[in-house]
Parts: sequence; structure tokens; C-alpha cells
Amino acid sequence: MTATVLVVDDSPSVRQLVSNTLEASGYATFTASDGQEALDLSEGRRPDAVITDQNMPRLDGLGFCEAFRARPGNQGVPIIFLSTDDADTLKARARAAGAIGWMIKPFDQQKLLAVMGKVLPI
Amino acid sequence: MNAISPTLSPPATGDVVTFALSGEVLAVPAACLREVIEPVAVTRVPGASAFVPGIINVRGSVVPLADLRIPLRATDAARTEGGKFLVLELTLGGQDTIVGVIADAVHEVTRIEAGDLETIPPVGTRWPAQYVASVGRWSGKFVTLPNLTAIFADYLAGHLGHGTPHATHTDAPHDAETR
Amino acid sequence: MTTDAMDTFRAEADALVESLEAALLKLKDAPDDRDLIDAVFRDLHTLKGSGAMFGRQDIASFIHSFETAFEDVRAGHVAVDDVLVNISLAARDHVAALLADPSAGEGRAILADLSEHLSRALVGAAPDWRLQFYLPSDTLALGGRPEIVLDELRALGAWEVTAHLDRLPPLAAMDPTQFYLGWSARLPGDTPEDAIRDVFLFHDTGLDLTLARSDEGEAFVAPALPGVDAVSEADKPAAAPSSLMRVPSERLDDLMDRVGELVIAESRLVELAARIGDPGLVSVAEDIQRLATAMRDTTMSVRMTPIGAISGRFRRLVHDLSDTLGKPIDFVTEGEETELDKTVVDRLTEPLLHIIRNAADHGLEPAETRLAAGKSPAGTVRLAASYSGAEVLIVIEDDGRGLDGPAIRARAVERGLLSEGADLTDDEVFALIFEPGFSTASEVTELSGRGVGMDVVRRTIEDLRGVIEVSSEPGHGTRVTLRLPLTLAIIDGLLVEVANERFVIPLAAVDEIVELPAEHATDESGNAFLDIRDTLVPFLRLRRLLSSTGEPDPHQKVIVVTSGDGRIGLVVDRIIGTNQTVIKQLSPLHAGLKTFSGATILGDGAVALILDVPQLVSKGQSVTEQGRHAA
Repeated sequence: MTATVLVVDDSPSVRQLVSNTLEASGYATFTASDGQEALDLSEGRRPDAVITDQNMPRLDGLGFCEAFRARPGNQGVPIIFLSTDDADTLKARARAAGAIGWMIKPFDQQKLLAVMGKVLPI
Repeated sequence: MNAISPTLSPPATGDVVTFALSGEVLAVPAACLREVIEPVAVTRVPGASAFVPGIINVRGSVVPLADLRIPLRATDAARTEGGKFLVLELTLGGQDTIVGVIADAVHEVTRIEAGDLETIPPVGTRWPAQYVASVGRWSGKFVTLPNLTAIFADYLAGHLGHGTPHATHTDAPHDAETR
Repeated sequence: MTTDAMDTFRAEADALVESLEAALLKLKDAPDDRDLIDAVFRDLHTLKGSGAMFGRQDIASFIHSFETAFEDVRAGHVAVDDVLVNISLAARDHVAALLADPSAGEGRAILADLSEHLSRALVGAAPDWRLQFYLPSDTLALGGRPEIVLDELRALGAWEVTAHLDRLPPLAAMDPTQFYLGWSARLPGDTPEDAIRDVFLFHDTGLDLTLARSDEGEAFVAPALPGVDAVSEADKPAAAPSSLMRVPSERLDDLMDRVGELVIAESRLVELAARIGDPGLVSVAEDIQRLATAMRDTTMSVRMTPIGAISGRFRRLVHDLSDTLGKPIDFVTEGEETELDKTVVDRLTEPLLHIIRNAADHGLEPAETRLAAGKSPAGTVRLAASYSGAEVLIVIEDDGRGLDGPAIRARAVERGLLSEGADLTDDEVFALIFEPGFSTASEVTELSGRGVGMDVVRRTIEDLRGVIEVSSEPGHGTRVTLRLPLTLAIIDGLLVEVANERFVIPLAAVDEIVELPAEHATDESGNAFLDIRDTLVPFLRLRRLLSSTGEPDPHQKVIVVTSGDGRIGLVVDRIIGTNQTVIKQLSPLHAGLKTFSGATILGDGAVALILDVPQLVSKGQSVTEQGRHAA
């Protein structure tokens, strides 16, 4: 079964860049433009991993993380945080909210794939 | 085949089966007797010694048939109509082997006590001394216990007609040369 | 532990030890083959595991030490070379010895050799990294994958990856969402520290990691449970493919016996049905016949074993010989997939070892002599197997000095095997080496003893109803050819009658059947040749050979049989037909009769003798020789 990644970002260009990179490497992706949409979509389709931005309208990354983790069946799905902010406080909060790791923007495609490989190898 | 490997020389005392051959009474240890069968068709083995002239089918096994009259140099009296084959289990050259033995008649399984056995008188015996283990008494008659070990060993060594110069596979080349 | 399981363990262990040997020998030629190194590891690992399961701690702990030392090889720190292969082979032999006899010792010397060799090979490299880590306890809950961490470490060349269970709480206190495991491992000294740290990128919150150079003292907590290895796909014992099954060979022998009895019962049924003539019965009998034949074929195919199953031993032998004799030897095999009945393969091992040993020891010259003769310094021993009709041909060839005909002849005369001035062809002279007690080697070597044993080889081959031949060209080498029947158990036979007695001729050996021409019918003295399509074929009158009595049939038949290159006609009275012949060995009391290869039980319960075609053909060849001399 193809490994499916949910990509959550309010920037269409980042969404597209991330999902194109992943799909070119053999992952399947689906995308959401904010935390709330991601939550709704993940009701019907359980991703094998999630990559999410922090700053988004309606529901931000941390909020999504907590809500997503709270739902039964979502234990053990790795969540990676995308952030422009390298502050340790955010890292700690993200971890507490249920993210396994984070990636600092900007990143190149190789870095993205290397990181994905650590949580969801193809 | 799980009978205790019998010694072919008759025990000092023990059960034997007695049978008639050329007007004499012979006995072999009951422990090596597998069964007594009615005579079946004998297939002649061209080139074989008169001692083991043929082979027979015993319950799906091919079994050599031996004629003890040859080593014992018995008079070649015609066999009686009610002849039998004794099927014996012997150890020949280290190999368990089933052998059929021709008999004119089979009498019974009986116990011969040590006291009934005599060593063979040095003279006056009809049969080659080296092939007779001992002589006993049974129902008032003399009964001869042939030394099957000696008889078959002599045959395999080629002293009784066409024996076999070699018989076993145990001396594999590797063993033979590492000694 | 049941005896059955114990037997299975033994069988499995024996197979693993063999497979280990094969892999090590191949590794010698392909020292960089990762797959082979991994194969060695798998075998070691499986052996260790099942050894421990079956109470053989001695084996398990020896292999564990061996395996641990070998990790340097797997990690790529030490290259495979001949010394290493030899030490490993010695270790393999020690395991085999332990399997056979638990009192074989601990093999400390071998392990010492190994570690000494490895430490020498390792000198100069940067000290290894040693690391120990416990992943954060929320690793699993957050979707972390510990096996990916281990894979990444392995990709960096980690070895001695050992799991630590010391932080595991009592079962009652265990929280299934928590992660308690830790690992220690060694990494190549040249691995950048960043690369190691990067492995733990997503695990650094709550990670307990110790990373140090191996020469930086004992910075580590002693592993809690040594010997409990990390379980990952790579470490799991290779499971046998589910489509294969290991069966004790005695069961196959039993099966073959039963099928043999079935075939005999079937032929009785067919005969009975034909006599009674009831159409229903006949049709059932035919069904049974068809099934019995299929059953026979299937059973025989189950028993077929490729020659390759034993060629590992030959490879090893040549390797050891090459070492001991100080001669470089190439061992080449062809047709390893050629199959023979299991019994034949088993009993062939010793004779083949002997022939190959002779080829390497006596046949091949020392490298200097070879160079002087304009040959390559490395001698070649070739083992080739192929099918030829109902026979399998096995050729053992060397490119050595060849047999010394005059020396053989002189030795044979000296031994009283041959009269001086006897008229023999070269091949007949060479065949003298099969005579008991014969030896051509003037020097006594450790390996081939006194050169005795070729007579035993021939006897073993003949007991397998096979034929052995030798040919040789001085200066170019020697070739020993074995021709063996495919199977020992059941053959298709041609039932013939001679003077009212029935005999079986193996059908596979039958070329054609012709009427005996009238001019030969009664003329017993005349020349014993038939002109078949302009070829003279010698023939034997079986009634004379078998000292039969009675008048011959007016229409005698000649059955032309072949064996190897030879052909001979056998004159019989009548041909009865073909049948399935279950071969029964003749007892020791009749084993010396060369005319027959065995006996079989016919449909009516009577016993019929089976004619030994190769023997008769060689008789025919001597007839031919006499014919030539007479002409």
C-alpha cells in the first residue's frame, strides 16, 4: 500500500512543492489549507504521516496536532512540524502537542525526503 | 527383524527347532527361526554353488535357499513329499540376512538341556566335524546341531563352491586408506 | 524436547553447517560479495538460535563469539582474505565437531586465531564509535519508528547491535504506549559524529544517548542481557521457503519400499484380471496400474537429489588439498543440477572424494613443474555430471601429468597382477589401477595414504550397478568416467524367457530386438557376430551362459543392449513383455555372481533374476577381441 501523507499549509505554493516532491518519490499525498480542513479530511482518510505548518487561519498547527492526537486511531501517526521559527519553546510545545519532529523553512527537496524517510520510509 | 541377534552356534541349553534331512534329525536354535513355509517355486541361480542353488519369494522378499546336505555331505536321498522350508535369520559377514533352508520335515520346537548335549565323538561321525556344533538326544534319537556360523563363513570364504570374495560395503575407500 | 524435533534440529544444523561451508568457500573467490557475507551471518545466526533452543549452549556460545568477531568483517572494517576463510572454515569444522560430539571442546584456539587476525587487520583505523541509547518513552505514541533508527545505524556500518531490556518495568507496571528499549552498537571510527547525531534527529527530546570513541574508556553501563540481539528483518533467521519440507531419508526409503510392494501387488492384480477376464475387473486393474506407475514416478522424483548436494564437500576437499600440498588448484563443476537417486548420491560421496583426492594429489604436478611444461601454474580438477539415457555420466578430470602406462604395467607385473609381455591396450593397462592393492604413487603423502583404495572405489561403483573407466594422456591429464543408473529401486524391465526360465533385462539398456538369423539358430560353434545394418554386433547365447537345458525355441530373438560405448546381442527364446521391475538386491550368498544385478518378484509370485547389462557388454567386448585375434 502506498504511504499516504497529509500536507497542511495555508500557502498553495508550499503545499504544491511539498506534495510534488513527495509524489515524485512514491508517496501519495492529500492536502489541506488549514488545521480545521485537515481535521475534517482526516476523518474520512487516515494518513500514514502528516506534515503541517504552524501559522494558519481557523486552526493552527499546534491546535491541529492536539485535536488530531486526541482522536482514537491517530496514535502512532507521525506528525512533522514546518516552521520558520527555530525557537526551542515552540519545539517543546510541538512535542507536547504530539509532533514527533519539525523542519525549519526554507528547506530543499532532499532535506524533505530525508526527513520523511525517518518517519515513513517508502 | 528385532529378534535378539541369535548366536548361530546352538546355546549350551535352550529352545531348538528339530527337523529331518536325509534321514537324520537336525536342530537349529529356535531364536533364529522366523517361520516355516510350504515349499514354493525355487528360481535357479545359474552359476551359484549347489549349497545355495536358488532363490525364493518369502512374503515379497527375495531369499536365498540353502541346502545343508551339501556341507554336511548327506546322502542325496530324495526329499519326501511333505518337505518344508525353514526361514532363518542369520548374521552373515556382519549383515543380517534371511536364509531359507531345505528340510524334509519339521518336527517341533523343543528344549535341549545342557546335560543332553555331547561333544561330537572324534570318530564315527558321518558329517564333517567342523560343521557340527554338538550332538544331543531327542525322543530317543540322536540330534545333530550344525554349526551354521562355520558353514556360512566357509561358504563366503569360497571354500564351499562359489562363494563371494567380497560381501559388504562397509569398507568404504576413505576408511580403507586412512588407516 | 521430542526426539523428532531433536532429529530435525540435527538435520537442520547439518544443512546449515554445509551451507556455511559452501558460502565460506565461495567467499574465498568473491571476498567482496556482501550477499555471501550476509549468508554466512544468517547461517551462523540461525545455528546459534536453534542451538540454544535445543540446549546446546556450547554451540550457541561458540558461534556467538565467532559471530561477534566476524562483525568487523560485516561492518567492512576487515577485508576477507584466505587466512580469514581458513580460520572460518576451522570454526565451521569445530561447530560440526560439536554437533557430533558435545565434548569436542570450546574451540578457544580458533577464536584466538580469529581475533588475532582481525586485530592485525584493524590496526591503523580510527578507534570505533561506541554508542548506547534509549529512545524517548513517547517514541511510539508520536509515530516514531525505532527500526528506522536501527536501519540508519546499520547503513552507517553499525555492528554488535545489542538490545538492552534493563529499563523494562515489571509486566504489571508496563504501559503499552511507552517505549522502554535501549540499544548499544559499534560504528566505524571514520563515521562523522554529525551523521550519527542526525540519526536521532526526531528523537532528541528525551533521548538518552552516550557516544564515545572505543578507546575512551568504559563509559558504558554493562549491557543488561548480553546475547539478546536486536530483532530486525536482517537479523531474523531466514525462514525456509514454505514450499520446501525436510523429510528424514528413512521415510523416503520406507515410501519406496511400499511403492515397490504396491507395484508387485499391482502386477499380480493385472495378471489375475486378465485370467478372469471380467471387463469391470480389467478396467479397475488398469486404473490401479496407471496409478501405481504414476506413484512410482512421483516417489522416485522425490528421491532424486542433485549432485550439487555433495559437491560442497569436494570443493572443501580441493581447498584443503591445495593448502596442504601447496599447489594452486582450480575446482570446476558442471551439471551440479544433475539428479540421481538419493542412495546413489549418498554412496557416491566417498568414491568421488577418493578420485578427486587422487587427481589433486597424484595427478596434478607442483606449480614449478607445470610452468616448466608450459602449463598454467594452477592445476584444474573438473567434476562434470550429465544425463545419458537412463544413466548419469560423472566425469572427474585433471590437467595433470597423466597416468604412467609403463610404470603401471611394471607395477602390475611386480604385484603378480599381470604376466610379463601381456598384450594389453592402453586403457586396459590404466584399468589395472582398480586392481586390489595397486598404487602408482612412489611417494607416500599424508593425503592419499599409500594410494590404496581404487579397488574399493570400483567395487562401490559396481555395487551401485555402475561402471568406472579411466583414460589418460601422458602430460595432459587423466579422466575417470563413472556411469551410474538413475535409480536403484524400480526400473522398467523387459521380461524374457530362456529354456522356460524367466529373466529381466533393464529396458533402458535395450536398443533393438531382432530375429536370430536361421544360420545362427543351431550353429553353436560359428562366429558369434550378427550383421545388423552393416555393423557387426557380438552376441551371447544366454542359454549357454546360463547353462540352461532343453531345446532352444525355433524362433530365437536377439536383444541388442548397450552400455557406454559397447553393444551386445543377447539370444533368448522368447520375449514375454515389459514390466515394472522392483529391484531386490541379492543376498551376500549370491552377491559374487557378476551376471546378475539383482532379482525381482513377478506378478505370479515367482522370482526372476535381473541381468547385469554392463557386465554382459564387457563380456561381449572380450568376445569381440577374441574374434579379432582369430581373424
